[in-house]
Amino acid sequence: MNYPFWEIPYLGSGWVIGIISIFHVMISQFAVGGGLYLPLAERKAMRMTDRTAADAWMKQLAGHSKFFLKVTGIYGTVSGVGIWFAIGLTHPEATSTLIHNFVFGWAIEWIFFLVEMTSIAVYYYTWDRIDPKLHLKVGWVYAVVSFFTLFIINGILTFMLAPGSTWLGVAGTGHEASVFWSAFFNPTYWPSLLLRCCVCASLAGIWALISASRIDSDSARNLKIAVVRWSAKWLAPSFLAMPFLFGWYLLMVPSSQRALLTLGVDTIGTGTFSVITRVALIIVITSATVVGVTYYLAYRNPEDFTLSHALAILVLALVATGAGEYSREMLRKPYVIGQWMYSNGVRVPDAIKIDQRGYLAKSNWVWNNADTSYSRGEAIFRGECGSCHTLHGYRPLATLLSGRDSANIRAFVSMLHEYKPDSPYHRFMPPMVGTRQDVDDLANFLNAQVNPPATAIAAQR
Amino acid sequence: MTTKSIANTVYSWVDERLGLGELAKFARKKTVPVHKQSFWYYWGGISLFLFLVQCFTGVLLLVYYRPGADAYESVRQITFTMHFGWLIRSAHAWSANLMMLSVLVHMFSVFFMKAYRSPREFGWFSGMMLLALASVFGFSGYLLPMDELSFFATKVGLEIPAAIPVIGPIIANLLRGGPDVSEFTVQRFFALHVVVLPAVFIPLLAFHLWLVQKHGNAAPPSEEAKPASQRKSMPFMPNFLVKDLAMWIISLNVLALLASIFPWQLGKQYDALAPAPLGIHPEWYFMAPFEMLKLLGLVFSGKLAALGEIAGILIFTLGIVLWLLIPFYDPNLESGRRGRRAHYFGLFAIFALLVTTAIGYWTIR
Repeated sequence: MNYPFWEIPYLGSGWVIGIISIFHVMISQFAVGGGLYLPLAERKAMRMTDRTAADAWMKQLAGHSKFFLKVTGIYGTVSGVGIWFAIGLTHPEATSTLIHNFVFGWAIEWIFFLVEMTSIAVYYYTWDRIDPKLHLKVGWVYAVVSFFTLFIINGILTFMLAPGSTWLGVAGTGHEASVFWSAFFNPTYWPSLLLRCCVCASLAGIWALISASRIDSDSARNLKIAVVRWSAKWLAPSFLAMPFLFGWYLLMVPSSQRALLTLGVDTIGTGTFSVITRVALIIVITSATVVGVTYYLAYRNPEDFTLSHALAILVLALVATGAGEYSREMLRKPYVIGQWMYSNGVRVPDAIKIDQRGYLAKSNWVWNNADTSYSRGEAIFRGECGSCHTLHGYRPLATLLSGRDSANIRAFVSMLHEYKPDSPYHRFMPPMVGTRQDVDDLANFLNAQVNPPATAIAAQR
Repeated sequence: MTTKSIANTVYSWVDERLGLGELAKFARKKTVPVHKQSFWYYWGGISLFLFLVQCFTGVLLLVYYRPGADAYESVRQITFTMHFGWLIRSAHAWSANLMMLSVLVHMFSVFFMKAYRSPREFGWFSGMMLLALASVFGFSGYLLPMDELSFFATKVGLEIPAAIPVIGPIIANLLRGGPDVSEFTVQRFFALHVVVLPAVFIPLLAFHLWLVQKHGNAAPPSEEAKPASQRKSMPFMPNFLVKDLAMWIISLNVLALLASIFPWQLGKQYDALAPAPLGIHPEWYFMAPFEMLKLLGLVFSGKLAALGEIAGILIFTLGIVLWLLIPFYDPNLESGRRGRRAHYFGLFAIFALLVTTAIGYWTIR
């Protein structure tokens, strides 16, 4: 309400964050896992007794570190800033809350990030230029700081799903930052951190397989077998631990949110949020596939492992990551910050106040021409619905409400306004907040989209 | 006795009776050619995998599906009330579509690799029979939910055989169980779909697979022209098999993605008295033949209008017969110019399929 709304037709603003985030997570988790891969691989080569094999291994590793630097240093950093940019525009209220609570956390994150970027550049540019032991130490510095970037951001991400009762107890008092560590180490922090560590290790192996697939089997057979097999083993922790960690994570998620996962067990009905169940199924299937395909194509057949095989695994990993991040976001519904702020930026305790004074009363950015019921309805649509719905595109209201007449649409909006606990929408949609006039305005606007005047007239005839 | 010795005893007992050792020996000896086009070898296996998925999901659907007057209601229950019923149904429908796609890819890869040439003619004929049966599987399965779309699409689809002179109406009535598509039609299509077709399809599939084992994978002419010393190959066991399994897992994944993100929808219950809704069209794999018949019908308009449909069916049948008989036209490596012509015929077939499918979708009303 305090900020203008950013409307992205068809795609929806949420997907702008989604697309950038999925891309970023694929790379940033590679940055963390790969951070450990590089020094461990280098140490392995240093300990080899066969010097020819060790040199070939080192040369391959130097090539991989160049690939690593380009992918993480360019695409990882740019997409990371892109997320900031997108969440600031899409969820200004939520971003503001996060900054007020975690400004100290982000300051730490930025320091780690700077050291991370510097150390990886030093690592790459000093191959064969400094003492190998010192070079390895630089690699370890990178590994440690990149892990801590995950350690910090994980606290902020998990906070949004489950802020914990301590933080919720002081939320809105202005003393939220006093319980920083409680909010940071919230109930889902540790399972989420360990889950992400497993994913990081897997991605380190998967991206390393891209480099390894390009080793020529005919001229460097032994090197290819060794590097492909060693990289494939990086998926083992995920294979062994993920099912347990996933179970632990779900156990720590608030039960009201966990219940969302079962909504799609027995239906594909639209508007029942059944999609989260289906996407969660994809995480399980695709993760298992990544491990299985890596075992068959890479571990069992290292010599025949080609770039197209490696890319197939990478694409599958992208699907699993996408499904994982999507489900994590959806699991928060109807909140953007668990129990505290609804997904449309309305703070839970503010709902009653807004019902009394009207949704647009404090929206200073709404131009003065919002003086008709239609234009007020449009402004309310952008503010209250626009963060999850579009009119024609992703979760399109014109389609979801199609077949309803104006009275029916009004009844639907009123139902969202009353927000009774037994309402089927209660579990995953925020209430429609505002006065009775606001309800009418929004219903009028939606009705004009679903039943445009020409259609309505034709129907009357 | 140790576990190993128990296993050895059991293996010897089974081996003596079933000859597993010979099978393993055969599998060890078998090789698969390695070349730039090796990728296309996987499509037959992918088709087989998707068929197995359909058998499995089909049996599960069979538990709750009720043909006849209750058909729509039972599919509605599967889709909207049973736990993961939607998943099984979506997987069944999507795997059917993916199988048609992979069979078509398999057919064209066989065609362009000239794998129909001697001594693999029966592989080609049995493959074409399997494709024809798969289409009938698709057509009969499409009607089973008895929603608006499937009802009217089947009605339109059955008008094609009805246009054949003399025997056409008899065949159409036999399939429909009367002059109109009704619950009797569902009963018949159900019997066709779950009993008659599998009874024919599975033995034919076994024959097709046996032929592949007997003659091995055909290498494209460019490879066959090379001296034996320059040709590469990989052992079937375990190299090709593990890659094949990896492709199966990837296919399963694609299937899971499609079935989960785009679950198969169910339209309104059919109403025989209602006008056909807008946008009735056949499934994508029938779009090309449907559109070709429509276009040929237009060519024969005017005085010959009455003959249009019959002529269309005749010309279309002739095209299929020519396609089927290609091994006799281009029998071996020495075919020369005929081989090139067959290649162009294949390119023309792809072009015709793509263009008519595009026109078909473009002109949906």
